[in-house]
Parts: sequence; C-alpha cells; structure tokens
Amino acid sequence: MGLRFAIDTGGTFTDLMVSSDAGVLSMYKASTTPKDPVAGVLDSLRMAAEASKESLQSYLARGELLMHGTTHAINAIVTGSTARTAFITTAGHPDTLVIREGGRMEPFNFTIAYPEPFVPRALTYEVPERMTVNGMAKTPLDEAAVIDILEQIKQAGVEAIGVCFLWSVVNPAHELAVGVLIERHLPGIPYTLSHKINPSIREYRRAISTCIDASLKPIMGAYMRGLESRLREAGFKGRVLVVTSQGGVMDAAHAAEAPVHLINSGPSMAPVAAKAYAEAGDTETLIVGDTGGTTFDVSLVRRGRIPRSRETWLGQPFRSHMTGMPSVDVKSIGAGGGSIAWVDAGGLLHVGPISAGAVPGPVCYRRGGTRPTVTDAAVALGFIDAEFFLGGKMSLDKQGAIDAIKREVADPLKCDVETAAEAIMSLATEHMVQAIMDITVNQGIDPSEAMFVAGGGAAGLNCVAIARRLGCRRVLVTEAGAALSASGALISDLSAHYQAMFHTLSESFDQAGVNRVLSKLSEECSAFAKHAGAGSLSTSVDWSCEARYIEQAWEIEVPLRKGGFESATDITSLVSDFHQMHQDKFAVSDPHAAIETVTWNAEVRCRIGSAEPGRLAPDQRAVELPSRRVRYAGAGWVNSQVYRFEAISEGSIIKGPAIIESDFTSIVIEPGSKAMRDGLGNLVIDVREHTA
Amino acid sequence: MTQSSASQMDGSALALLTARMEGIARKMANTLHRTGRSGILTIARDFSCVVLTAKHELLATAESLPIHVLRGPDIMAKTMADNHPVLKRGDAFLHNSPYHGCTHPADHSILIPVIDDQGVHRFTVLAKAHQADCGNALPTTYMGAAKDVYAEGALIFPAVKIQDKYEHVMDIIRMCQLRIRVPEQWWGDYLATLGAARVGERELLALGAEIGWDKLEAYTQQWFDYSERRMIDVIRAMPKGRVTRKSTHDAFPATPTAGVTITATVEVKPDEAMIEVDMTDNPDSMENGLNLSEACALSAPMLAIFNSIDHTVPKNEGSFRRIKIHLRDGSIAGRPRHPTSCSAATTNIADRVANPVQAALAELADGLGLAETGALLPPSCGVVSGVHHGKPFVNEVYLGCTGGAGAPTADGWLTILHAGNAGMCYQDSIEVDELRHPIFVHQRRLIPNSEGAGRFRGALGAYSEFAPVDCDMTVAYISDGNVNPALGTRGGLAGGNSAQYRMHPDGSLEPLAACAEVVIAADERMVSISAGGGGYGAPHEREAYRVAHDVREGWVSRERAEAVYGVALHDDLTVDNETTRHLRRGG
Repeated sequence: MGLRFAIDTGGTFTDLMVSSDAGVLSMYKASTTPKDPVAGVLDSLRMAAEASKESLQSYLARGELLMHGTTHAINAIVTGSTARTAFITTAGHPDTLVIREGGRMEPFNFTIAYPEPFVPRALTYEVPERMTVNGMAKTPLDEAAVIDILEQIKQAGVEAIGVCFLWSVVNPAHELAVGVLIERHLPGIPYTLSHKINPSIREYRRAISTCIDASLKPIMGAYMRGLESRLREAGFKGRVLVVTSQGGVMDAAHAAEAPVHLINSGPSMAPVAAKAYAEAGDTETLIVGDTGGTTFDVSLVRRGRIPRSRETWLGQPFRSHMTGMPSVDVKSIGAGGGSIAWVDAGGLLHVGPISAGAVPGPVCYRRGGTRPTVTDAAVALGFIDAEFFLGGKMSLDKQGAIDAIKREVADPLKCDVETAAEAIMSLATEHMVQAIMDITVNQGIDPSEAMFVAGGGAAGLNCVAIARRLGCRRVLVTEAGAALSASGALISDLSAHYQAMFHTLSESFDQAGVNRVLSKLSEECSAFAKHAGAGSLSTSVDWSCEARYIEQAWEIEVPLRKGGFESATDITSLVSDFHQMHQDKFAVSDPHAAIETVTWNAEVRCRIGSAEPGRLAPDQRAVELPSRRVRYAGAGWVNSQVYRFEAISEGSIIKGPAIIESDFTSIVIEPGSKAMRDGLGNLVIDVREHTA
Repeated sequence: MTQSSASQMDGSALALLTARMEGIARKMANTLHRTGRSGILTIARDFSCVVLTAKHELLATAESLPIHVLRGPDIMAKTMADNHPVLKRGDAFLHNSPYHGCTHPADHSILIPVIDDQGVHRFTVLAKAHQADCGNALPTTYMGAAKDVYAEGALIFPAVKIQDKYEHVMDIIRMCQLRIRVPEQWWGDYLATLGAARVGERELLALGAEIGWDKLEAYTQQWFDYSERRMIDVIRAMPKGRVTRKSTHDAFPATPTAGVTITATVEVKPDEAMIEVDMTDNPDSMENGLNLSEACALSAPMLAIFNSIDHTVPKNEGSFRRIKIHLRDGSIAGRPRHPTSCSAATTNIADRVANPVQAALAELADGLGLAETGALLPPSCGVVSGVHHGKPFVNEVYLGCTGGAGAPTADGWLTILHAGNAGMCYQDSIEVDELRHPIFVHQRRLIPNSEGAGRFRGALGAYSEFAPVDCDMTVAYISDGNVNPALGTRGGLAGGNSAQYRMHPDGSLEPLAACAEVVIAADERMVSISAGGGGYGAPHEREAYRVAHDVREGWVSRERAEAVYGVALHDDLTVDNETTRHLRRGG
C-alpha cells in the first residue's frame, strides 16, 4: 500500500494529512491561494516531500490515493463566477426559483434585500407540458416550443441549462425528451435534469439543486481536470477522489459530472473523523464542533449514523438559497477566534457575528486589527502563550490585546480587563452552545447523553466550558483535531447516494411497488460497486426511507433493516421503527397512526483503505512546558502547569487547571476536570467537577 | 423588586441569560414546527412561542409572528392566573378567547405555568398555533361575514384547563373532537403545541435550578430596563411630530358601502421618549368578523412602530413601556365586547391599522417607517375544503401571496404575506399541495408592473390559478385590497390591487365577491390575484440601474420604466443616461 493524502482547502490554510504505508500520520499546513487553489494543494505536498527529504516527483510516485476537500464550488457561487445558466420549467410556473419556499428571519429587520433568484428570471423559459401527481401527461410536451427556446438560449449566450418540470420525479419522460433535444440542438452544452440529480418531491428544492448543479459544471469540470493533470505532471499516479457533502468521496471525474455534491465538501468530513476517532458504536452520540477563525460548524453522529438534512443554505437561512440535496447536517454560525467583542449603547456585551477574519485578524496578530476578539481574550487570560503561538512561529501582541479589551469592553462595562476577557469567552461559549442546541433539538438529541468532539484550531479554548454547559460528561480532542476534516477524508469510503420517490401508505402498503423501487436502487448500487468501487475491500449499502404521518408535512429519515420487503412483518417493523424515530427526534409519537412513505434512499459505501484512524509519529520533546499565569473561570489567576499534547503518554492523567498545547492548538483544562490520553492518541477530558 | 443590589448584573451576565432565554423560546418553536400535523403549522409555520414572567410580562419571543405576540400573551397569562388562583405543576390551559387576550379563535394557544419546587409560579410559557379548522360554522378559520361569535361557531376557551398533573382533560378533548373538522389533524396539532410548551417548561425548570429563581427574576427586570434604555435612545433621536394617516378596508358584508376607514394618529415625543398612537377615532364594532381583538388592536400599531425603527431594539415589556396605544371600547379597532366576532382579527383590519402607522412614521423623516404592505387574504391563501372520493379535506393553502412594502433602504420583501406576519410563513410547494389535496395548480406567477413604484419599490403581486380534481372545492377567502391598494409613502406609489375570479370551462372570467365562500366545480378554476406592496420615496429617485434590472427581469415594462420611473433604456436594456436625465429633469 502506498501513501494516502487527504487535502482540505480552507479559506486561509490548506491542510494536508499524509498516511504512510505503516499507517503513521503526518500533518502539514500551507497557505491557500484563493485564485489558484491547486497551487496550495501542490505547496502542501511539496512541504511533505521536503519533510521526507525526497523530490516531489519521487514522493508523489509513492502515492496511492488522494482525497480532496474543496471550497471551490461554494466559492464560485458566492463570488458569482458560475456559468451563465438557463432554467427550463413547466409553463405557468416560472417563479419557482423567485418565490422559493418563503420564510424569513428577524421579522422586524427591513434593511435586508430579498435575494435575487439563482437563475435570473430573464433566463427562465416556460415549456408547455404538465405531468400530474400520478405521472399522467395532462399537457403533452411541445417539442417545437422547446426547439424554439433552445434557439433563444443559444442567442442569450447561455453556458449551462437546468431542467425541472413538475412531477418529473413521478414521470421523467418530458425531462428526458428535453435532454435529447438539448444534445441535438445545443451539442456540448452542459445540462442537468432534475429527476436525475435530486429525485425528490418539492419543486423548489429539486429546481435549485438542478440549477446549481448545471451552473457548476463548467467551472468544476475545469477545476477537476486541472487538479488531475497538474497532480499527474507532478508525479502522482494514484487515484484522485473528492469529498462530497454526504460525507463520502467520489472520483474527481465523476464529481465533475454532478458538482452539486461538492457544496459542503470539507465540513462534511468532521463527523466522519469524529466517529472513527471516538470509536463511536451503535449507542453513542457525538456532538462535533469545528471551530475556525470565523465560523463554528456543528454536526452530529447519532448511534453510529451521521444525520442528513436537505436544508443546507448557500448563505444565511432565508436570505439565500438552499441546495435541496441530502447532505451531512452541518450548521454554521459566525463564531470563532476572530469574533469581535463590543458593548452597545445600552451597555450590553456582544460577541460576533462580525469577525475580524484573517485580515485584519485579532489585535494580537499585529496585522492592523483594532477591535478585540475571542483570540485576544484568550491571550489576555493566558490560555494562549503569546510568546509561543503556533509552535513559536509567531509572537503575539499581548499588551495590544489587553489595551483593546480595556478600551472596547472593560471600560464600558466598568470592570477590569480580566473580568471583561472572561465575559467575552463565556458569551462566545454561549453562542456556540445555542448553535449546538438548535441542531440537537431538530435532530432530537439530548446533549447530556452525548460526547463533545472538539476540532479546529480554536476549539481548545472553550471546549470544556461548552461541554459543561451542555451537560456532556466527556470531551474528545483528536491528535490531529486541528485538521479534523482532513483526517476524516483519509478514512472515508467511496460512496454514492441513490434515491427514488415512491408514495405509499402503511395501511395499504404497495409491497410490490416498493420492492421494484428498491431493486432498481440496488442495481444502481451494484453497478457503482462494480465500476467505481472495483477492487475495494468491502461494500455495504445503507437503506433508508423518508416517511411521515399522514397529513404531516415534513418527512423524517428512517433506516431500513434491509433492502426489500418480504412479509407483513417487514412492514410492521418499518412502521414501528418510524414511531421510535419520531419519538427520538420529537419526544412524541402517535403509535396508532398510519404513516406514508415518500422517498427511498440507498447509499452504497465501498471501503478503499483502512477504516482505522492512524496515529501521528511519536514526539520526542519534553512533556512539561514552562508554567505560566493563567486565569481560569471561578479560580482566578493560577500559576498553571502547561503540557505538550504530542508528548503526553497513553494513560497518564492530567488534572485541571492546566493548559495542554500542541503546535496547532491550545486546550484549556478547567479546574475540576481531568484529561487522559487514550490508545488512539486522543485527549479525553472528563469535565465533571472533581474535587482535587 | 425584592432583590438587593447584590444581584445587579452587568452587560455580560445580561447577554448570557438573554441568549439562554431566547434559546428556550427557539427550542419551543423548533419542536412545534417539526411535530405539527397540519399544513398550516408545519408548512406555513403559522405559530408562535413565547416566555412571560410570573407578572405576565413578555420576556422572550424567538422568531414569532409579530401580530401574535407583541401584546396579548400578557393578557392571556393574566386571564389564566385570574381564573385559576391555584396554579400547579402539570397544569396546561387551552386559550383562544379574543375577549381575553387571544388574537382570534383560530389561534389555539397552550399556556403552562412554570412552577418551582416550592410551588411558586415563576414564568409562563405560551405556544400559539393557527388551526387548520377551529369548528366554525363554515369550513374556514376566517369568517369574514359572521354576524357575531354565535354565527362564527368556534368553541371559545378562555384559559380552560386541558391538562391536570400532565394528563389530558379528556372532556375538553372530546368536545374539540366533536366540533373541529378533521379531528385527527387537530389532535396531532394539539399534541405538537402542548409538546412545545412542555419543552419550554422543562428548560425553564432546569434554568431556574441552575441559576436560582431570584436571580432569574432580577435578570428579567434588568433586561427590561436595558430594553427600555435602548428604546429611549432610539426615540430621543427621532424628530418630534404628530401625523394622522388613514387607510380604508374595502366594503365587506355589514360594513358601510364605502368600506371601513381606519384613522391612526402617531405622535413621537422625543423629549418624553414616548411614542403614542391614538386609535380611538374609529368606527364602532361591526356585525362581521373583521373586528379586532384587544391583542390585535394593540399589537398592530406596535409592530408598525418596531418595523419603523432600529430593528435591534429588543421587543419586550421593557421597550413596550415607551409606547402607548389609545384604544376605545366597542370600536372595530379597539376592545371588542362579547359577542362581537373577531374571526379575522389578525389580518384585514389589523393590517389597515399597522399600515398607516408605519407609513405615518415614514412621513416624519426619511429613513424611518415603511410604505404600506399588500392586503390579505386572497383565495390563493384561502381555506380549501371538500369531499374527495368520500374523504373530507380542509386546509389553508399558501399558493402565492406577496405584498412586501418598500423600505428606506431595500425593496419590499417579496413573500411578506401581510403586515402582521412579516414574511415568517412559508409558501406551499405545488407538488406537496397536489399530493395532499385533490387540487391542481395551473399557474403561479408574479404579475409584472404590479409593484408600488418608488425609490425602493414594493413587491409585485402574485397570480395563481387552481382547480379541484374530480370533486367540487369550496374556497373561503376575505380579500381586501380589491378597491383600496397598498399606498406608498414619501412620494412612493400604490401597489397593484387584488382580485378574484371564477374561470369557466370556456376560459371566461367571472368576477367574484371579495368576501365569500365559493364552490369551484371540477371543470372550473379559481383565479386569485394578490396585492402588490407600496413604494417608499418617489419613483424618480430610484437608481436607474435598479430600474433597468427590473426591466431585464420582466418585472417592470420598458414603457412603465419611462413613464413612472423616468428611466429610458437602450434596446439592449442598458440605461440611456442622457434621455433619463432629460426625463427626470422634466418629471
């Protein structure tokens, strides 16, 4: 087995994790070049080659797999550099992308403009055709009108086309016919048909998935081709895979054909890593927090499964568009090391959502920032060593941080700087706790039963405080937690997700019809395993169904015990599993009520490498670092012990108060809690109050 | 105040506890949204969740519907306490009485007193949800023509105990099940609403145990003081002035033939840091369902005030101290007397109260206020019902209703629905509606040139056309705005009018009454046109590139761009600067 690379391109840094043939991990960080993300990818690989004292060419030649998490797709949307896209839809319904699904946040805020549709109305074309709920063609497709529209589309300089007709998910004939006409009349223009990319009910969600997908095809196709060819040129001969929003990987060339899957490439991997490192079995629930400079991403692992959501927004909820695709449920809020603290006219403290970002950054970075941030508070409290930041690569301006906190927070609150800095940390913690509660209540998870997995460079500052607020007993910080997503990518499966809509009631269950749908999904999974998954170590299929009580509006996802219904017992099992899931998620169920199924899902997973999370190479440096003054909540200033994360031996226990530092992060072990290194190199912190 | 100065909190402690209180209200709302049964709760999100103090002061509202919560929850909680002097843990109360603080009888509310371990009432949580049906005489929750509460027909619950020791009072449940159409749907919604309130109770009990009840009480008073300070600062920075504006609701059954003209006088008193709204100069209650409940009569002008100022001022008892609304007993826009019907209290007249108040504030100074929001409730968001293959159905649909008002710095929010809702409701998926009901939606589209022109324009109106499948369908609606559009402010123009028609099999259109329950046959179609929103500022002040964009998108015609906005375009639809300058100088 050769080298495996996982590369996660973020806004500021490109993280690389390398797994050697022996399963030993190493970690590198290079700067991201926003205009040319592949440059950052190659730079990080060059750093790794240098560290192993090889030429890039010979180092990469030893490579077997490369998994890439990329923000290129979402960046293309945010910066408006996607293709000029046309939207072809059912006559009478041209405003699906304009009206969206309604909804709004901040009811009294009239300063925010309503979002422009993802495809301009000027490039929206209505086609005479209409299917009914039963898949009957109430209005036949007017092919002559389509041909005329395609001519207009050509004149308008369109570069990609999304096609979404009402009820195509029940009968795709009209969409398929338009696909044929596009290929005949506009050969070479990329297009997407809604029933193929997102075969689910709700026309807005299907239409938006379709248009996003089409709009990304040119740019992501070019990106994937560029990535592969430059890696080949540099000497890499292995397989290039890309991380999907669903928490798996797919071949780069395959991803280029369905780029809507790449919107959340990256963040989707945090729970994958957490699940592997926490060795979470079928009973354990994990809350995964990934804290970066500007955002805090929360995701979950519930009893071994990573919950999905179809409500992933491209920007702020209701003020942007959602992808409509089933993706790993990740909620983001504007909170992180760069969140700015200030006091308003009425004397109330605020932390975030405005952020100092990477530029100008916190005051202590000396890059021109003047407003105090969470990082500045952490420096003022001694959580971060101003003299030895990032393993000594950068020295921080502690006095600048203190002055800014005094001026902007302490003086207006009429308190001292330490108190102000503690207040900033507590409020940042509370915002993160609230973000976690939003996602856990929606998924029906009781945080006090869960373990908190903290990832990202700024996670250690308040992970114990967050866990205590949530009532979690334990926190887990992985060895490579500062690059949690990359370490997840390294162990992820090659996967594909297939879905089909089929509506039936539990009272009059159409067993034959459901089995037809499931066997078609099964065939698709087998074909994937046979082609893309050829040579994989093992293959499995996760079955699920989206169902609801009759008259209920939203479906919930219920795992199926197997991929077919053989007897009445199987139907009874599905119904009782549904009630149980409903009870779990919402704390209520209606055990006598019938249910209706809407969508059927199959996710095929092919294991292409080890599922075992690797370990970083052993660290020979001293475990004890010079002690320093740190201010802990409730304990005041303490001359605190400081330990090197990488050098702590397995099984040894460190009691708080203490600071545990790595080259990438600083972890605050609050008084009363205790930390232990486990066999996988994780730091497991028991946060329950222990008397010393 | 019973607390010593030792419990004086600083701005950081206040911020922390506020995040937690809002978190509790949000958790209630998330629970209700995800567990409701009817479309109106789970699709349209027509519900609200709030936390009140034991003194019935509004504390936390999360993202509720403004008309539901600003005032009313306080009166409802007080009614609960007055009617039940001994409140116990495990109690829950059903409340929908418009004579005791509820918005209208369709808004079933569950109130739960939060009782500490010593038996002391500490907070009240309230979850309010609009029902798909509430047992009215006709299958609609908006009985625009009901002569009185008897003609309305809904069961009225003035804070009636519906759970005792956490067990349902089955007598009440059975009464509801015998009166409310599609009782299983009501039962599902009741469980969801109750569940949301119980979540709020559980969270508050945990918070009280953690923080201490006395400290929490001290927090609430200091949070109110902070909110009041914010409101004082905002009002002191406003210009002093008094503006009277009128807004006329179209003629409906039992109204004068010229309709109902609502008069609002807004007075901003910066020196006293008070805003007062005088609503006393209005007609008496009428023999129809348009009369406001006290909750709506108070909330409508208040939401218009909060729409008009810095949106970061918290909405709670503290900021409310700086607002005074003068009402008259027995007025259509005042306090109703039983048995006056308030069936449609949240929408029609309530919007005719909110609109002139926000437009009046705009007249006081540029940068304040809003134009008028489009009127409700066209057939596209009416209640549809019927019997399909022996199975009855009833629900409110949201098939296209827009109406956002032009604002000082932004165009009208497209899907605002109406002033009291503020766009919080969702719009239906056509596929979901067609799957759930025997209904076929032929068209849903925005109507070009229906925006209220302005520097910032109002939203366009929506056209929708739908029909029953294999059965007759009753559509109940109360469409204001057929005659009186949403007016602009500060020189902005009015939005397009609403309208409704029956489309016959031959395609001909038959105009229908504005307030009606019409039966649409299987071979006919319901045509609904919703109102556009009013514009803010003169159309000639609109930046030319915005006008050009509207023309390219097909929202505004080229002719209208020239005639109304004074913006000329080249044939490639870019701005013709020279002609535009000329037009605007001339205009």
